Amino acid sequence: MKHLARRNFLQVFGSSTALSILVGSGLLKPGMALAVEFNRSAFEAKTAADALRLIGAAGAESSPDILIKAPEIAENGAVVPIEVTSRIPGTTRLSVLVDKNPYPLALQFNFAAGATPTFQAKLKMAETSRLRVVASAAGRHYTLFREVKVTVGGCGE
Amino acid sequence: MSDPIKLRATVKDSTGEVRVLMPHPMESGLRRAPSGQLIPARHITSVVLSLNGRPVIEGALGSAVSANPLFAFQLEGVKAGDQLAVAWRDNTGQRGNAEAVFSAA
Repeated sequence: MKHLARRNFLQVFGSSTALSILVGSGLLKPGMALAVEFNRSAFEAKTAADALRLIGAAGAESSPDILIKAPEIAENGAVVPIEVTSRIPGTTRLSVLVDKNPYPLALQFNFAAGATPTFQAKLKMAETSRLRVVASAAGRHYTLFREVKVTVGGCGE
Repeated sequence: MSDPIKLRATVKDSTGEVRVLMPHPMESGLRRAPSGQLIPARHITSVVLSLNGRPVIEGALGSAVSANPLFAFQLEGVKAGDQLAVAWRDNTGQRGNAEAVFSAA
């Protein structure tokens, strides 16, 4: 247990170091309103449950106001097109997880005023899996998932 | 030096549509070369989209984003002539950026 706690501390420390490098590089300026630093520990989590916990969304409640467009059957797991939209008022962040990928957390986007909480992206999927979206609004988290069947996986081989 | 970013910014009735293609291998670190050696992870970790110098969308990406990431976004309150900028950074410290001007759709 002690060992685990220390590991978590190191991971947190590691991600803040990465952030300070970003700040130092001028890509992220201090005081920028958005703060979606690369959450290394969450992106390196190997289960969806761990990733959800690490992005603070373990208790997300199901919401019909999240829209996910994704193919029912993806022929090529290396390129699975998705479109995600949140109709939850005040949505500031959308996160996407592919439950059965080696690293389930795929991406996170933060939206400032003027940006509509919607995006299109293309993801790799190792195998048939739940595609899970978490929308964050005013400190609360909402979720919706969709099952995507994958014919040829797109991660390892 | 990677290929240049392709950035398209069009505006219709004050709604801006953005499409961005960032040439990048997005190596997961899980694939093996024919020699059997693991190909080291190399993927974009952060993306910032700015409108007239103000960051409006910020992304954190994992290696599950497909190679040559292609994204589409929507911005409100945009007019033709507004400046759009995109910048990325990967886990090896490499960076890329591009700018475009919104034009009427």
